Amino acid sequence: MSPITLIIIAIGLGLAGWLAGRAKAWSFQKASPDTRPVARPVYHAWYVAVWVVIPVLAFVAIWSIIAPQLITQSVLASPGAQNLPSFGFERDAWLAEARAVASGNAPGVFNDGAEALVEPYRAAIQRYTWIGIVLTVVIAFGGGVFAFLRVRPDFRARTRVERTVMIVLLLASLVAILTTFGIFASLVFETIRFFGMVSPVDFLFGTFWSPDPMSNPENPDGSRYGAIPLFWGTIFIGAIIAMIVAIPLGLMSAIYLTQYADPRLRAWVKPALEILAGVPTVVYGYFAALTVAPAIRDAAMALGMTNASTESALAAGVVMGVMIIPFVSSMADDSIAAVPSAMRDGSYAMGATKSETIRRVLFPAALPGIVAGIMLAVSRAIGETMIVVMAASTAANLSANPLERMTTVTVQIVKMLTGEGSFDHPATLSAFALGFVLFLVTLALNFIALRVVKRFREAYE
Amino acid sequence: MTVIHENMEDVGAKMKARDVSVYYGNKKAIDEVSIDISPDYVTAFIGPSGCGKSTFLRCFNRMNDTISVARVTGNIELEGENILDDTMDVVQLRARVGMVFQKPNPFPKSIYENIAYGPKIHGLAEKKADLDLIVEKSLTRAGLWDEVKDRLDDSGTALSGGQQQRLCIARAIAVDPEVILMDEPASALDPIATAKIEELIDELSGRYAIVIVTHSMQQAARVSQRTAFFHLGKMVEYGPTSDIFTNPIEERTKDYITGRYG
Repeated sequence: MSPITLIIIAIGLGLAGWLAGRAKAWSFQKASPDTRPVARPVYHAWYVAVWVVIPVLAFVAIWSIIAPQLITQSVLASPGAQNLPSFGFERDAWLAEARAVASGNAPGVFNDGAEALVEPYRAAIQRYTWIGIVLTVVIAFGGGVFAFLRVRPDFRARTRVERTVMIVLLLASLVAILTTFGIFASLVFETIRFFGMVSPVDFLFGTFWSPDPMSNPENPDGSRYGAIPLFWGTIFIGAIIAMIVAIPLGLMSAIYLTQYADPRLRAWVKPALEILAGVPTVVYGYFAALTVAPAIRDAAMALGMTNASTESALAAGVVMGVMIIPFVSSMADDSIAAVPSAMRDGSYAMGATKSETIRRVLFPAALPGIVAGIMLAVSRAIGETMIVVMAASTAANLSANPLERMTTVTVQIVKMLTGEGSFDHPATLSAFALGFVLFLVTLALNFIALRVVKRFREAYE
Repeated sequence: MTVIHENMEDVGAKMKARDVSVYYGNKKAIDEVSIDISPDYVTAFIGPSGCGKSTFLRCFNRMNDTISVARVTGNIELEGENILDDTMDVVQLRARVGMVFQKPNPFPKSIYENIAYGPKIHGLAEKKADLDLIVEKSLTRAGLWDEVKDRLDDSGTALSGGQQQRLCIARAIAVDPEVILMDEPASALDPIATAKIEELIDELSGRYAIVIVTHSMQQAARVSQRTAFFHLGKMVEYGPTSDIFTNPIEERTKDYITGRYG
């Protein structure tokens, strides 16, 4: 609540600064119409606004971290805090309760001892809210006045505003990068904890996966943590079966749509294909579990396999393949269409047929886009969870028979993290190790694909 | 309507166009043009931008087929066979009538593969050695062999503009065509590269029937023996290049070659 109030105040003051800066710049310009100003008034306006808003935003970011601590400290200093239990967990619970009541998020306290803290909390919150508002206004005014005084006819407001824009854009792009690093760091940390309990050799090369979240966490049975069946299931379902379905169908539909289809047909089929990418994977899961898997079982029965089950890697893989067709076809379509028509004409003029032109000229030139699409599709398939849960079971199984049950890394991550085990049990931590391996494998796949493309692409420019 | 300086029937034409019209949708881009293409001469199509000379050129190897709205009527014969007929196999036709484009468009493949492309798709070489020979012969004829013989594996797109265009000419002659169509082949090149291309056209004439579209009158005067002047979709005047340039009959031709417009 409180940071939002502060941001609204900042934006209001920023607007005022904007108007003031512009008015001042216009008055300069009107006073001496003959001299050409260095920057247009609107840049002076933005310069002032930036000096109002950005320091305030920085302050709000810091304040929203330190204010709760200051509040807690002042509560702890109050006389009511003397009765607080010394045990950390209980103490935190009392404080949290009192805070919730004080800020109106809870109707009353559960622990009577917390009652005495509600009033100090309320007072502290109020006090620091006011301090926050006052500091915000002071900082906004400070920045605004500083910038306003610098607004002169010869002041280069434009270059400074442009630089600010650049920095804001840079920060925006850093968010994604830092998030990736953050995810990676948290994975690494938990993975190291896991490998402290279970040997990496058991994990990476063992062939039996059945962690028991109820076992003694101090002495885990390493032989139950063999992840090979999961890696195999992931590769078999996501990278083999799904790709056997998706790559040919996706590429052929892309080639048909770009080279053969009537433009009116293309206008219908292309969006329809892309809708396929928007269907939630749970819905594909139903389809796989209720339609495809029984059909595959019946077909297997008809061929004389008596032990065919309703859950099979094949069902999950095929449906997953259909799901990722749009990823393959859409990227391939775009990159084939982007090959200059001079290439195509050159090939036709040599007497090449349509399919020769596609195979020998368009396809090699469009290769980077096509491979990028396939990589995207593989990443999607490897990360896919719902379809596998519903159609290929959650039981690990090491087999090359696509009609058997199988499970994947992501399914086990979900199973382990949502299981009954405590958070520091190796069964739960194994989810992080699995995630870490998945992360590394995806990274390696992307890297290899980039190198391959670089080597084999036929650059037309 | 069209002024013809000589009796066309005497030429012993390689290709004969009769009453050829081209429509883009409802717009008529070429209006009933008839011309004979001699096997012994370089024929130049000149005229201001948008006069339809390139469109007309593209009729001779049916490249207008690739434009869905284009429609061609009339007759074009290649040694007595009407190439505009539906039964005409365009793959065969384009092997016999090659084309070089305005902007050099080598494939993003190696120099060797660029030349080998046509012979491969038409099955002209049985063994690698045969293909090697074709590549060398074509590059030699295009005057490019000495410049690229040590780097046949480099990408064709890494060459300079003029070399790229000569590579495209070599690519066209690799399938041993009877006619080569050139659509402003030097307009994207500098004067030195242009001179080389013109020299090459001169050397190739006689071996192949060559038709060149150009908007440079000097170029037409330098390389061609027959010139056709196009204006607003019509062929205005046709005859020996020297006649067209020194003694034009039509007023529009006269205006154009004296630089009054275009």
